[in-house]
Amino acid sequence: MKQRKSLDWNFTVEASTYTILAIAVIFTSFPILWGLTTSFKPLDQINVFPPTLFPKPVVFDSYIKVLFRSNFKVYLFNSIFMTGFTVLVSTALASHAGYALARFKIPHRKNIMFALLMMGMVPIVALLIPLYLLSVQTGLYNTRLVILLIYVAWRTPIMTWILYGFFSQAPIEIEEAARIDGCTPVATFYKIMLPISQSGLVSSALLSAVFVWNDFLIAFTFTTKENLRMVSVGLYNYITQYGIIWGELMAAAIVSIIPMIVLFILMQRKFVSGLASGAVKG
Amino acid sequence: MKKSNEFLLPSILFLGPTLLLVTLFILIPIVIAFRTSLHATTYANIDAFIGFEHYKSILGSSDGWMDIFNSVTYVMFSLTIVVPLGILVGVLLNRKIRARTLFRTILIIPWVLSQTVTALLWKWVLNSSFGPIALWWQQLTGSTIDFFNSEIAARVTVVFANAWNTYPIIVIITLAALQIIPEELFEAAKVDGASRRSTFWHITLPLLIPAISTIVIMQSIEYFNMVTLIYVLTAGGPFNATTTLSVRAFRTGFDFWHIGLGSAFSFIIFMVNIIFSSFYIRALKGKNA
Repeated sequence: MKQRKSLDWNFTVEASTYTILAIAVIFTSFPILWGLTTSFKPLDQINVFPPTLFPKPVVFDSYIKVLFRSNFKVYLFNSIFMTGFTVLVSTALASHAGYALARFKIPHRKNIMFALLMMGMVPIVALLIPLYLLSVQTGLYNTRLVILLIYVAWRTPIMTWILYGFFSQAPIEIEEAARIDGCTPVATFYKIMLPISQSGLVSSALLSAVFVWNDFLIAFTFTTKENLRMVSVGLYNYITQYGIIWGELMAAAIVSIIPMIVLFILMQRKFVSGLASGAVKG
Repeated sequence: MKKSNEFLLPSILFLGPTLLLVTLFILIPIVIAFRTSLHATTYANIDAFIGFEHYKSILGSSDGWMDIFNSVTYVMFSLTIVVPLGILVGVLLNRKIRARTLFRTILIIPWVLSQTVTALLWKWVLNSSFGPIALWWQQLTGSTIDFFNSEIAARVTVVFANAWNTYPIIVIITLAALQIIPEELFEAAKVDGASRRSTFWHITLPLLIPAISTIVIMQSIEYFNMVTLIYVLTAGGPFNATTTLSVRAFRTGFDFWHIGLGSAFSFIIFMVNIIFSSFYIRALKGKNA
């Protein structure tokens, strides 16, 4: 009798687990799927009421317009370029800084770390106006350089913290052995620490890549030139123009999310470990 | 003597560039924001010193307090949805179920989408003329609805879109926290005859709370600072119903070009962040202790 009851209970738990997860999947994927079907619809099936669920026939007009007959490919290039560059530079800076804080004997080490954490938590929205004033005064407004520097300054403190955590948890014995063999602290970093820390570096780099790729505020504030524009601002411009062309907008949005989704599916573990180890969002 | 100097030059070279960059692009701008907030401005020109007039006009007006109210409700309602939903999905995903990886991948995907894309997707799904939700609403209630024209509906919409975009973070943190709970605890509970429900309430949840509380503080800050999602989805409207302090700061600066007033908003946001961050750091320290 007891056994029977527990079996029923087990079944209920199983069934409700799958039911709740299925509902969550529908809730999560519906807006994306709706955008996806819209992007494949012919023009006369998009602005109609009642809306239809599936495109009939499936057409690629919106994608062709976005990819070949608009400046969207320029925006894509700019976003890829800025994301790649920012991730490289901030990983280089943050790995050095993180290692120095983890292993070097530095006066006021705790204070420096606290200051870095605080700086890392200053929100971008509070910095936009002064950075705008500074970039206009220095003539750097509307240049790739200033956007790159702002992105790097934005991401580096948090990456330093993540990598500091990573380096300080690494077994110190390997480094001590290297030091006994006559390696300087600097050589130990390059020859021993960097090679064994690849997974930590990749995690924090991926995390930053998502933030830069997805950024709107900095890209919007510091560029007005068409040839410097990045994807997020290009998407936004679709809704400010007169009469939104939803098919093209959804096609552009889908194109813009594909790189991140592919990256995420391929390197899910690294993403999750980066996020969990930092538990810090910019 | 040589031993202590060994670290001096490398320290400067390793830490220097980061500290310099942070000083130039974060520390100095904050000082400039504060200085600008004490001046009258026309467009990008800084005019006469006016003391705390901008702050008085923000904190002494009903508009200013409305923005604060909007920020607080946006943060609170977002957390109210995101935290239970994230914990529930995280706990379920941690069970030994079929197609776990597939479920996990799909459910975490919104997190990699930008606020811009999130806003655009929801703007289209909720479109009052051509959207599926408007259709279902009409079929269910017989009346039409415009989610961006009513104050209540717009407020619900921004919170909902935000929840969609950010609940995966709670899922990830929950999953990470569950992995480090020793299996023996659950076994012991089972041996002692504890039901699943009491195991959840008395073992799983208490062990999750430290991790969750840190991320809740972090997300509160994140939601408070959020501009893009709201700006793209509703632009703060209708009638400023979705204008939070952060949206106001951005629009005052870059839609209306009141640099001085915008700087005062920025500095208020900065101060709120400092206060919240100190809670966060205290929570982190508590966790490590």
